[in-house]
Amino acid sequence: MRTKWSMKSKRLTKRLAVLSMSALMVAALAACGDSSTPPTAEEAGKYEVTPGDPFSAYKDEITVTMGRVTTANPKLPSGDTYENNAYTRLVKDTFNAQISDQFEANGEDYSRQVSLAIASGELPDMMRVDSKDELKELVDNDLIEDLTAIYDQYATDNIKQIYDSYDGRALENATIDGRLMGLPATSLDSAPTMVWVRQDWLDLLGIQLDADGDGAISLDEVEKTAQEFLERDPGQSGNPVGIPFVNTMNTTDYNGSAYTMLGVASTEGAFPQYWMNGEDGKIVYGSTTEATKKMLGIMADWFKNGIIDPQFGTRTFDDITALYANGQSGIAFGPWHIPDWGLISAKQMDKNAKFSAYTLEDADGKVNVAHANPSNQFIVVRKGYEHPELAVKILNLFYDKLANDKDAATTMPEAAKYQETGVDGSTRPFNIEVNSATSLLDDYSDVVRGIKGEISLDEVRTTESKNNIGSIKTYLNDMDTDDVTAWSKYHSRINGVGLIDKLTQEKKFEWMTPAFSGTTASMKQTWANLTKLEQESFIKIITGSEPLDYFDTFVNNWKKQGGDQVIQEIEDEIASKQ
Amino acid sequence: MKQGNMKARGRLGPGAMYHMMMLPGILFLLVFSYVPMVGIITAFQDYIPAKGMFGSEFVGLKHFTYMFKLPDIAQVVSNTLVIAIGKILLGTMMAIIFSVLLNEIRVKYVKKSVQTIVYLPHFLSWVVLASVVVNMFSLDGIVNQMLAFFGLENINFLGSNTWFQPLIIGTDVWKEFGYSSIVYLAAITSIDPGLYEAAGMDGASWWRKVWHITLPGMLPIILLMGVMSLTNILSAGFDQVYNLYNPVVYESGDILDTYVYRIGLVGRQYSFGTAVGLFKSVIGIVLLMSANQLAKKYTDRKIF
Repeated sequence: MRTKWSMKSKRLTKRLAVLSMSALMVAALAACGDSSTPPTAEEAGKYEVTPGDPFSAYKDEITVTMGRVTTANPKLPSGDTYENNAYTRLVKDTFNAQISDQFEANGEDYSRQVSLAIASGELPDMMRVDSKDELKELVDNDLIEDLTAIYDQYATDNIKQIYDSYDGRALENATIDGRLMGLPATSLDSAPTMVWVRQDWLDLLGIQLDADGDGAISLDEVEKTAQEFLERDPGQSGNPVGIPFVNTMNTTDYNGSAYTMLGVASTEGAFPQYWMNGEDGKIVYGSTTEATKKMLGIMADWFKNGIIDPQFGTRTFDDITALYANGQSGIAFGPWHIPDWGLISAKQMDKNAKFSAYTLEDADGKVNVAHANPSNQFIVVRKGYEHPELAVKILNLFYDKLANDKDAATTMPEAAKYQETGVDGSTRPFNIEVNSATSLLDDYSDVVRGIKGEISLDEVRTTESKNNIGSIKTYLNDMDTDDVTAWSKYHSRINGVGLIDKLTQEKKFEWMTPAFSGTTASMKQTWANLTKLEQESFIKIITGSEPLDYFDTFVNNWKKQGGDQVIQEIEDEIASKQ
Repeated sequence: MKQGNMKARGRLGPGAMYHMMMLPGILFLLVFSYVPMVGIITAFQDYIPAKGMFGSEFVGLKHFTYMFKLPDIAQVVSNTLVIAIGKILLGTMMAIIFSVLLNEIRVKYVKKSVQTIVYLPHFLSWVVLASVVVNMFSLDGIVNQMLAFFGLENINFLGSNTWFQPLIIGTDVWKEFGYSSIVYLAAITSIDPGLYEAAGMDGASWWRKVWHITLPGMLPIILLMGVMSLTNILSAGFDQVYNLYNPVVYESGDILDTYVYRIGLVGRQYSFGTAVGLFKSVIGIVLLMSANQLAKKYTDRKIF
């Protein structure tokens, strides 16, 4: 008995020894991580051919590892990849910098990769993060470089002007404790969420939408059209499906509102997921309002009547896009650019496919929309990366030079060709957009005047618009063209942005300005659960497993499980700013 | 005793060889099971990776209090239990029935082929199988086409809180029963054939032989396997559920592992995730202890 015990205790001592040794190792490893200071602009200059120049190459080839946000990309020439394409080769040729991808993913998978990279501390040299929360966390963990000095030194005047067109909001959002910690994407107003309807099907069935021609239709019209599409199967798929929606349901970003319910919400003046101003200085969470309840009521009715995809909730984003490609569904909710990357697959499968864009109006004929929150996409640079200025240089190259150079076709032929043929912009090293606040409608006006010949191509502000004019002219000459790029540019610019332009001019928009965006202290712990609560409750109400009045239970639970606390914190933060 | 030891050490006898062979396993266990245990302390901290385990602020039981306040936890634990117990019971039953039946097949060729075929799914990962399952059970999948053929109403299996758990249990049993029947087949072959001959002489039917000889002969193994699987009762199969679930069926399909993964790692609440994980481990240990007692009581054999 005794020997047994002593053996046991010996083993225990050994185990403890191993444990403490491994603990020491972990501590030592952690200590290794934080031993670098950011290089100054002068230091960076040592490696450059023309030190301090916004477009300077490096003397010796350097490598940069990246996390890349990908998407379905049918126009990518065969043989080219995200890692090796015209844009990455442009970076190589211009800066002598080789891009190598640490991970490539899209949607939720990308966020997951970023989370795992943060958790393991093994960040790529540069990557995009998609929330302020992640940016803050990276700063708290001292994992990313301060870009303040580098931005001042390296960013071109054009880039600085673009950011400044947001009155400081763009850079401010990426600034933490007075330091610029990431290069922000810009976020211009790109409302509303449109209803894209298969025009060729409407013609086939003899349905006329939007009789008054104001670009806005009612919910009733959508419902009737969906019903007709279901009953008569104009796509001849044999298996028509109602309107599909993503299971995240809503978003606070119109630009990313594909397949969301934001359009339906607007008919009730609801703004789910937005922080809004309530009465007497109170803050209200948009998902908990009566208007949102009404939206859910509509959705639940639709689900019951099969207007909504019966597999709602279980389909992934790509599954939904496939429904349009297969001709099973002909009504899509989404932003103005959805033809460029989503509906284009319908055209590829069916050369007769054409879409018209409408927006939804409320009972008073107004279109309810919200102003854009500052963008929550940031390019960050890993702490300790030797050439952080390369991030700003890449920004210069793609969002200034390539965008504005009138001779791009000769100076950067391969990249220019990519733009012309409509290869998806996600193949650029940074999958973000950096445009001035008014660029959407400015570009539209350029395109329209260019097509009409009112301005010459040299007067057109951006290379992209120039390409679009060419594409759209091709489409106008032959509306049955097999050129899918011509098709998509006509749809996104003339149908999509054209609708925004029309509604803006006719002053149909009823704007809501969000009261707050970002995160508060207690959200760190409670928000993941509150989001889950909202998602589950909404899905239950829509699919009919709970009655509409369950919404009140949801609101109560939401408040109790931390919502009230978050509201208090937001109110305090706003009060402290005044 | 001492002398014997010295001798063995001197010429590296057979015992030493066996111990050497254990070394990789022990190392594996140390590196992947014991070292990570240090991380448990993060459950009691507001853990920030950069500050490390020794620099992060201690917050006591904050994350545990929050966990027990969440109404979801009860749901998640009950989902885990239902799915795991369902898998253990049904899986064991299927494996036993299958091995008894397979044992009756006398043509060796047929027996081997059947065996190979039912083992096969075990070696496929859920990442692959999930897409097969999704295809079969979606609204326009083959299962619903069959239901429609018989005039039955279509069922959205992957989006129904009634059907999701049976689907998870059923597909897992289908994937694993062949492989787990190996042990039972071995148990059957170790039964003395003389018993069958004697029973045959006494005029026992096939059914009687199974009931009075085969099953009692297998009983110790059945109990042992059952008891050992009890320790897995809170691991309802992360890769399977993760690849098949969606927000519609969180209510019936979210298990502890997926919950910890989603909230803890993807939501980057490391400390909270660790707290839930620790909670799971504690229940696991309690069950392991009781399983050990049960084993002693019924099979007179302790596992440790």
